[in-house]
Amino acid sequence: MPHESVHTVQSYEQELEQLRSFINRMGGVVERQVAQAITAVVEHDEVAARDAPEMDPYVDELERETEALVIRLLALRAPMAGDLREVVVALKISGDLERIGDCAASIARRAMRNELLSCPISLTGLRSMGRLVQENLRRTIDAMDQRDPELARIVWQSDTAVDELYVSMFRELVTYMMEDPRNIGPCTHLLFIAKNLERIGDHATNISERVYYAVTGNTLPIVRPRGGTFD
Amino acid sequence: MNKIIMDNSMGQNTAVPALAIRDLDFWYGENHALKSISLDFPTRQVTGMIGPSGCGKSTLLRCLNRMYDLYPGQRATGEVVFDGRNILAPGLDVNVLRSRIGMVFQKPTPFPMSIYDNIAFGVRLHERLPRADMDQRVESVLRRVALWPEVKDRLNASAAALSGGQQQRLCIARTIATRPEIILLDEPTSALDPISTARIEELLDELKQEFSIAIVTHNLQQAARCADRVAFFYMGELVEVDTADRMFTAPHAKRTQDYITGRFG
Repeated sequence: MPHESVHTVQSYEQELEQLRSFINRMGGVVERQVAQAITAVVEHDEVAARDAPEMDPYVDELERETEALVIRLLALRAPMAGDLREVVVALKISGDLERIGDCAASIARRAMRNELLSCPISLTGLRSMGRLVQENLRRTIDAMDQRDPELARIVWQSDTAVDELYVSMFRELVTYMMEDPRNIGPCTHLLFIAKNLERIGDHATNISERVYYAVTGNTLPIVRPRGGTFD
Repeated sequence: MNKIIMDNSMGQNTAVPALAIRDLDFWYGENHALKSISLDFPTRQVTGMIGPSGCGKSTLLRCLNRMYDLYPGQRATGEVVFDGRNILAPGLDVNVLRSRIGMVFQKPTPFPMSIYDNIAFGVRLHERLPRADMDQRVESVLRRVALWPEVKDRLNASAAALSGGQQQRLCIARTIATRPEIILLDEPTSALDPISTARIEELLDELKQEFSIAIVTHNLQQAARCADRVAFFYMGELVEVDTADRMFTAPHAKRTQDYITGRFG
């Protein structure tokens, strides 16, 4: 998230630059993890299923480095105003990105289960949910990279569609399970996968909220528009 | 010579500012140092003033008790409303004004006399107190600034023997001894070490229960810690004023943002 003007103290500027680069790298890695996790499930892609969890330690390491840098910046630079918001928000965003990575790894680990490979249930719903979540994540990371509050607000709103898809998948899968107990195994896995996708969407909206705050100094409403209910 | 009514009850309503500046302009000869400033100083709050050197913040402070009167070629137009009167108007007793609007400077300025007399001196200008009452006044203000335990056994010693931090607290004690309504502080801790600074800041927190305070500071962290409201000045203009919270997390003006994040010199 670069600023228009630069600091009088150059080393301070460099540290902020480094913080941005940690966050961008984390964003890039988890975006790839999510893409691989979805490919693993919908294409039964063995390589993708193996690769996604393997990137986890790298993301964890970046998160730790981000934390250390944020603490150092707070202690030594005492950032103010826009800088303060950016530094604190970077810490929160790194947490959300790390959780997204975990969700992706969890999806990928289920992808090659035998119950799923031989599953007669259509993956169309999951496929569209995956596409939507990936798209929202990509736009979130763009909003972060370009310091674009308007894009952040749009992504924040568009998670509604993910919620709706999740609720309808939930109903569909429960129906399959009731129809035939042999579906319980694969459907449970699919439910967890859908739940993880839905969580990734939530973390992406958290990130959008924080980008919006970091750039504008204002917060988006506490209650986010939500789609679909279980009532 | 008009006298200001000596009434210490500034009104309990905090919505009424202790001091209100309206369209204030100030000149040092040809140099237009303050440009159409309007600013309120809320009652019993700390108002911080920040900005780069030469931005006009100290000049503004010097307008609030007519300190500029001492120098030829300096003039102010506009209004500074205090207790219902424009204090810039001619015919005002500046000595009474300065007892009601006290000032503390960057460098401690103890008088070359005893600790006791440093405080009694100002009080004697305005009030005739029996010795016992004066003793009591001196003790109470020294307690108020947390200096009493350190000096109670040497009240007749020279104030010059005190440390810088103690001298500054003595100057604050001297200022509040005349029971002003407003205290102006011009970078009161810039010559002090961190512990002495922390004690002065703690003192400000306590004094604002009773007094309205205006503080000029170069230390942004200090403004963030002490002030309820913060005003940012740049080249003689008031750029922005808001709660300290808002100013240091999300200021509106780009110039404010640039200054407090250290983006211009």
